[in-house]
Amino acid sequence: MDFRQTIMQARAAKRGSLDELSGKRLLAQFGVAVPASIMAQVNAAVGAQLGALQPPFVVKVMSPQILHKSDVGGVRVGLQTVAEVEAAIRSMLENPAIAGQPLDGFLVEEMAPAGQELVIGGLKDPQFGPLVMVGLGGIFVEVLKDVAFRICPIERLDALEMLDELKGKALLDGVRGQPAVSRSAIVDVLLKVGGPNGLLMTFASDIAEADINPVIVSAAGAVAVDARFILTVEAGA
Amino acid sequence: MMSDSANVLERFAPLFDPKTVAVVGASATSMAPSNVFIRRMREFGFGGAIYPIHPSADSIEGLPAYRSLADTPEPIDYAYIAIAAAHLPKMLAGARGRVRYAQVISSGFGEVDEGKALQDELVAAARAGGCRLIGPNCLGTYSPRGRLTFVENGSEEVGHIGIVSQSGGLGTDIVRRGYGRGLRFSAAVTVGNSADIGPNDLLEYYLADPQTRVVGLYLEAVKDGRRLFDLLKANRAVKPVVVLKGGRTRQGSAAAASHTGSLAGDDRVWVALARQTGCLLVDTLDQFIDTLLMFQSLTPRHDRPTREIVMFGNGGGTSVLATDLFARLGLNVTPFAAPTLEALKALNLPPGTSITNPIDTPVGTLQQDDGRIAEKILAAIYSTGSPEALVMHLNMAAFVGRTKSDVMGNLMQAALRVQSRYPGRAHFVLALRSDGEPEVEARKRDFRAQAIALGIPVYDEMMNVGWALSALASHERFLSRGDGDG
Repeated sequence: MDFRQTIMQARAAKRGSLDELSGKRLLAQFGVAVPASIMAQVNAAVGAQLGALQPPFVVKVMSPQILHKSDVGGVRVGLQTVAEVEAAIRSMLENPAIAGQPLDGFLVEEMAPAGQELVIGGLKDPQFGPLVMVGLGGIFVEVLKDVAFRICPIERLDALEMLDELKGKALLDGVRGQPAVSRSAIVDVLLKVGGPNGLLMTFASDIAEADINPVIVSAAGAVAVDARFILTVEAGA
Repeated sequence: MMSDSANVLERFAPLFDPKTVAVVGASATSMAPSNVFIRRMREFGFGGAIYPIHPSADSIEGLPAYRSLADTPEPIDYAYIAIAAAHLPKMLAGARGRVRYAQVISSGFGEVDEGKALQDELVAAARAGGCRLIGPNCLGTYSPRGRLTFVENGSEEVGHIGIVSQSGGLGTDIVRRGYGRGLRFSAAVTVGNSADIGPNDLLEYYLADPQTRVVGLYLEAVKDGRRLFDLLKANRAVKPVVVLKGGRTRQGSAAAASHTGSLAGDDRVWVALARQTGCLLVDTLDQFIDTLLMFQSLTPRHDRPTREIVMFGNGGGTSVLATDLFARLGLNVTPFAAPTLEALKALNLPPGTSITNPIDTPVGTLQQDDGRIAEKILAAIYSTGSPEALVMHLNMAAFVGRTKSDVMGNLMQAALRVQSRYPGRAHFVLALRSDGEPEVEARKRDFRAQAIALGIPVYDEMMNVGWALSALASHERFLSRGDGDG
């Protein structure tokens, strides 16, 4: 599996985590939907590379030194044209918080359709091994800590019960005129991440922590919009 | 699977039913803990050989003493060892494969920083000597089937509850307080630092042991959580496992690099374990005992998880408060439907009796026919409805000294007769409430013993009933989990 190699390369480069693009490729390999994207080089024109990507676009700076991209102005969303994408990249390159860092390039993605934001996480517990987590995005996770954990591997029933455990679960059914989102799409992502042959079990010795945040889920499906995989200090036996 | 479970039973037989016991640390001249152990073993009726081990004495507690674990006439099934920590590794290494289980009571090992290296040495010595180690830093093993005990006045009755405790003191509390509340044990092992044999090994044994029907674990540090998860998952909650876990309030690591890491306090994984495997997490020693008693006494129902409760007793305020508590625990005390109400009205109960649910009956009502009125009331309820549990609560101070015959006994017998006419219909639970007066307490103790002997779980307060019933309900829901789910 070539992700072993990706992980080894990250370790060799003394990177403690996978970059967003590698993280998303890892998710895609396990069947989790991620936005279509291209990686734009720092000095290259973007136009030709965009190919079949459909607007609106998102641009994200990619640097091993920039972990919180939006905090430094390294994320632009809702871009409609190639010119807007190129302008966004230029303005980031003029931003001192970005320009001074070693850059891998710029990730240009299709913007995910609107929906309910979720966080799906992973954690290697020293006693129990991989755990998987789900919570509703934003204040639900950050302030209310409204999350559910399970020990991997989980079964479909576990995943359904995780959603039932959330205090804010009514949001999934649609409140204040919002449409209901697809629970089965969330369950599918949870199983692909935390199930018997899922990502966390497969890379149990390599992944210390994972944040797939946000996962945007609508009635149509779920898309992982950002992902961080933090590597264990040393691969386990 | 069959051979695995036969294997684990055979492997642990010398611990739970030892034929030969060695005792290290007994004194020829004073009363050391090991002397107390020998005396307790004899009082408890241990029928096998006891070999005191002593470097110089010829006789201890009237028994011939031997110089080392290798010098006893027969190989040793179980050794009870309480000597200074520093002497222990050499002692165990000298066992030369003749000791099956060595329980080390002594402390001064891994529980203190300066003892960690000595503990490693102890484990290595046990391995070299060919024995399995229990402890160190524990109090002993109680196994009534083998007449092995560390507790004073342990019951000789062989019961169905298997205990593992990582605390010796709490292990004693569980056995002694538990006995007073009606628990009867298949065994209880205190494992202390769990340097070799740990809670998982004994859980595996209890899950295979036909004598054990319910397992209780007091855990502090679990070395191999993954194995605990696998054992509990494979059990599929067939044998109820009640877990009292110390140290659940430690927060997620502040140093975590991710959201997920910072959200995962120690408690999260235990809640996950309970949800996924159906083990029952409790927070206090009393909840632990109360829950074990519920599973010892009642057979969980796979098809009808407990939710609808009938409450019956004397004490209006008690009923009102208990109804609130039960509701918070997901247990409904729903007013009766018309057919039940009609049937109860037809009994023409005295004024002051409330016949909705909860049924509040002053002592005057309960005294009718010396308590046999309860049979008519319960028959009316069972013939017209289908409650999932019946909770009878008696404020004993209102009976003691006021009622002439054995009204309370009649009430209980009346309930049991109705229960036997509707087998499997409703769980029957009793709360005996006392004001603490010696006379009331004495009656309560007698009455509790009678009820326990009849297989009825008895509790001190409705709060205890609520907690234990909600644990039973949770277990039943787990057993029916996924029924009809795609």
